Amino acid sequence: MRYITVALTKGRLARQTLDLFERIGIRAEGADDSRTRKLIFSNEELGIRFFMAKGPDVPTYVAYGAADLGIVGRDTILEEGRKIYEVLDLGYGRCRMCICGPESAREALNSGDQIRVATKYPNIAKDYFLNRRHQTVEIIKLNGSIELAPIVGLSEVICDIVETGSTLRENGLAVLEEVCPISARVVVNQVSMKMESERINDLITRLKEALNES
Amino acid sequence: MKNLIIHTPEGFRDLYGGEIIRKKDLMGAVRSVFKDFGYDDIETPAVEYFDVFGNEVGTTPSNELYKFFDRDGNTLVLRPDFTPSVARAVAMHFPPTALPLRLCYAGNTYVNSQEYQLHLKEQTQMGVELIGDGSAEADAEILSLTCNALKEAGLTDFQVSVGDNNYFRALAEDSGLAPDRLEEIRRLISNKNFFGVGELLESEHIPSSIRDAFIRLPKLFGGTDTLDEAEAYAINDGAAASVKRLREIGRCTDESGCSRYISYDFGLLSKFNYYTGMIFSAYTYGTGEPIAKGGRYDRLLAHFGTDAPAVGVGFTIDQLMNAISRQKPRERRS
Repeated sequence: MRYITVALTKGRLARQTLDLFERIGIRAEGADDSRTRKLIFSNEELGIRFFMAKGPDVPTYVAYGAADLGIVGRDTILEEGRKIYEVLDLGYGRCRMCICGPESAREALNSGDQIRVATKYPNIAKDYFLNRRHQTVEIIKLNGSIELAPIVGLSEVICDIVETGSTLRENGLAVLEEVCPISARVVVNQVSMKMESERINDLITRLKEALNES
Repeated sequence: MKNLIIHTPEGFRDLYGGEIIRKKDLMGAVRSVFKDFGYDDIETPAVEYFDVFGNEVGTTPSNELYKFFDRDGNTLVLRPDFTPSVARAVAMHFPPTALPLRLCYAGNTYVNSQEYQLHLKEQTQMGVELIGDGSAEADAEILSLTCNALKEAGLTDFQVSVGDNNYFRALAEDSGLAPDRLEEIRRLISNKNFFGVGELLESEHIPSSIRDAFIRLPKLFGGTDTLDEAEAYAINDGAAASVKRLREIGRCTDESGCSRYISYDFGLLSKFNYYTGMIFSAYTYGTGEPIAKGGRYDRLLAHFGTDAPAVGVGFTIDQLMNAISRQKPRERRS
């Protein structure tokens, strides 16, 4: 039997997902040890192994078939735009992709003037402004602390994920528009879906049942 | 600084040593199957007029074609795939009385794709086209040729997933949805997005039977029982006819002994608009992408002035090579 390899997004998403897998009787040996330096955790009995990766890398591992399954936020799936199957909404990791800025930026946003948008998600931002708002904007790619950009005058608005909005409020920013809702998704490699359809479908069905119970 | 004299451009590469030997051997093995099935060679130029691959034909998006101009200002392209070229050549050189024709080809294709880092921009393809035969037997012949070629290439564990473009098209016709919505649904279904279709249809007023079928389509794949289920969702004659046709093709492949490699997938929808009936993809371990793709394209030749049904398959030799070399050392638990 081949291993089914699952790529997890490092951090809270991985912990929630491992919990979920445990609820359907799949335990990854040693994955709960937070001090471990191991990169890959397997369940030999069931032939399933897990590894942790940076979010944006998860769709890459899955698209190339190095992982059969991946657990990753919808924001990353949209941003990476890879040819992968999106088969299950896990419901957790819930947040919203939003256009944010100081209240005063609302006018600039709606004026049709060329504005600057700072974001970690240039593809999502570009798609939103071009195809949904039909507006040309200058996109500035940043790698973190996006909220800083309008405060220091790097951009008029930002395009970023918002969970509770408290970081925004503390920095005098507000949600101006919502782009789309986000949550954790199960993605599958297109070849694995065919070659291992029985095992993968069984996994998805059981994960779904476990989600419905809770 | 890059030394531009010694490097190849990004997406292009040299082949030498053992790799080129393995590639030539593989191509020889695949070609021997083409020959056993009675296919004759054809060679078309790497450069064609833009219109051969234009929007009406519906192949590769214009921005992914390598384009340049001839002396008269016509737009030329490097071929992104073979089928439209072969169709054009048939329309140009063969009278209708010469049909049916069995032609096979081998050569390089060029796609200037930014988003797929998976791909080299120059890929070797081999394939066959069976032109002038619209029967289910012809479809089955192409399927069994595909299975035989993959076996001859040295694969033992592979799957050929068969669908029918008409099934989705028949549902789409009765749905009354705008073309851009349908395109979005097609994309979601072909990405097996199990919930996106339902989300998108929430705000649309369409008959509930069609809504249910659209929502079911991404999951409508598997063995022969898939056909029974597809039949239950077939709300119009077009969809029912498409299931009936696949059953017929299935019966023919049973006779050729390759039915154990074949499964069905009604969510398999090609972005190539020229497919008009059966379409299929072949998958194996070791490569994240299909190793062969094919289908029926009954209206493509009419675009070039010869009205004839046709069906064919193309193998991506580079992906096939990857699969073969990666399958051997892949760790297996007994």
